[in-house]
Amino acid sequence: MGYTITEKILARAAGLPAVRAGQDIKAKPDFVLAYDFPGYTDVYFKTMKEDFGIERVAEPERFGIFIDHMVPTATAKEEELHINTRSWCAENNVPLFERHGIGHQVAAEVGYATPGAFVVHFDGHVSQLGTFGTLAIGLRRNVMEAFVSDTVSIRVPDTVRVNLRGSLRPGVMARDVFHHLVRRLGPSSCRFQVLELGGPSVAAMSTEGLQTITGLAMFTGALTAIVNPDPVRLDYALPRARKTLEPVSSDPDAHYSAVHDIDLSDLEPIVVAPPTPADTRDLTEFLGLEINAGYLGSCASGRLEDLRAAAKVLEGRRVKTGVSLHIVPTSQELMAAAAREGLVSTLVEAGAFVSSPSCDYCFGRIATMTAGQRAVSTGTLNVRGRMGSPDSEIYLCNAAVVAASAIEGRIADPRPYL
Amino acid sequence: MTETTLNMPAMKGRVAFIFDEVNFDVDQIVGVKNIKITDVAELAQVAMQAYDPDFAKSVRPGDLLVGADNFGYGHPHYPPMKAMRHLGVTGVIAESFSPGYWRGEVSMGFPQVSCPGILGFVRRWDEIEVDWAAGVVRNHTQGTEIPFEPLPQADAEMIEAGGLVPFLKRQAAQQREQKDHAHVPGI
Repeated sequence: MGYTITEKILARAAGLPAVRAGQDIKAKPDFVLAYDFPGYTDVYFKTMKEDFGIERVAEPERFGIFIDHMVPTATAKEEELHINTRSWCAENNVPLFERHGIGHQVAAEVGYATPGAFVVHFDGHVSQLGTFGTLAIGLRRNVMEAFVSDTVSIRVPDTVRVNLRGSLRPGVMARDVFHHLVRRLGPSSCRFQVLELGGPSVAAMSTEGLQTITGLAMFTGALTAIVNPDPVRLDYALPRARKTLEPVSSDPDAHYSAVHDIDLSDLEPIVVAPPTPADTRDLTEFLGLEINAGYLGSCASGRLEDLRAAAKVLEGRRVKTGVSLHIVPTSQELMAAAAREGLVSTLVEAGAFVSSPSCDYCFGRIATMTAGQRAVSTGTLNVRGRMGSPDSEIYLCNAAVVAASAIEGRIADPRPYL
Repeated sequence: MTETTLNMPAMKGRVAFIFDEVNFDVDQIVGVKNIKITDVAELAQVAMQAYDPDFAKSVRPGDLLVGADNFGYGHPHYPPMKAMRHLGVTGVIAESFSPGYWRGEVSMGFPQVSCPGILGFVRRWDEIEVDWAAGVVRNHTQGTEIPFEPLPQADAEMIEAGGLVPFLKRQAAQQREQKDHAHVPGI
């Protein structure tokens, strides 16, 4: 029986000829990534020194730190945290990416999405590196193991294979594909497993769309998501790769714990209703519901195809008075590309407030809502209090729906505008 | 099985509460508006208000919680289970767990046991016990037992060690020892 891409990557990282799902191993991550946030990196740095006597990391090229939260800072304390992060990186010779954009996106841009690599992070949305055949797992606090030791203790996960066929209709985007997966398979369908995307439609899907789908994998219970790298993805990733590795793919006779087929051609735009990432509904159920805010951004959506969709809807139109539409491109690289394409001017002229990349809109540190307010959002999550008051509401949807809703001041179907 | 060789913490007590909601968001235990409270005594006071206002009065040290499928789904934070531990709760047994929640609590050294069938196996206030060596949950009130899923090696070791940092310290010490042995000359 053949091996999954996950088993192949973990076998190499564990220094073993082969591993199988279910096996407990110690694997050496090729890259250890983190963003600075109070209680995360500051704690790792302190613990390394005080509890383990580690003054310097042994292989700084294996690490990467991103300053993407609290950007720009609003308090002196936040700036102090950044100062500490900058000095730790400088002292350790560890690459630091500050104000390049949201780390999970920037990680791909700067070559941590090396096909065949094993990557760990605190945060589960790092799964989007799976787009490039990288196995990227969010370990929560256990990522500390990767900071104090060469290896992480991990059980080789099983894999759920999802085959995509057919193509999307206008107004339907990668966001809808992912949330449709949650609706079809269930919010625990891939629990403790890897979601592997395949099938005839993957090659035709945009890299950005795949980043959206893989990045949200945790809401199926998956540890991460991965795609067998194809020429398009390799063309992006290999010239940027920080490490020379042989890209690997699942064998045709690999074992999957489940295989699902999803036809994309009959999907409709969807909405994920608050307060759970599992409550996926048809957009039509919520049409007309009044909104106060729109947010287009985050590590999940906010890339060029999202900005293009919004610009198409907003071109020559205006955001309704009283609605705040925040548009935050996912990285500086993408923002510059959007500016060159003229998307930024279209969005700004329509009344959108366009900001430089930052994680802060997604978790409500800025553009906070008060009790009784309602947002449409391409952020990652819609739980209570995510964007401010626990008594405000977040409806997750695709970028075109956000734009159409901002024009009408209520949840709207983007298709008449396209 | 790994667990038999480890000195796992005792899990014996009453079923203090059964969360029968699938995909249960643990933040609801203290309420989202209280999630930023850092004082654990204060957290314990607000815990379970929405479910059983007398919870703090009725819970006893050693009691256990029972959950449904995908317990801990959403965006779980640490305060709810900090409050539960402060009230004396020693672990959670659920039909299954959401990975993010599982990892977070195991790294705190708080025992989590995945046991398909647990919802139909216990009633509130039954006296139950996790027998780590035998791999079963026993219901002493009803005189029955049910197998649970063995833990991944590292998770079992982390719970035994009392959490992530003691686990990593022990691991580092073991690695140093192995290195020292490897360098003993002439043997």
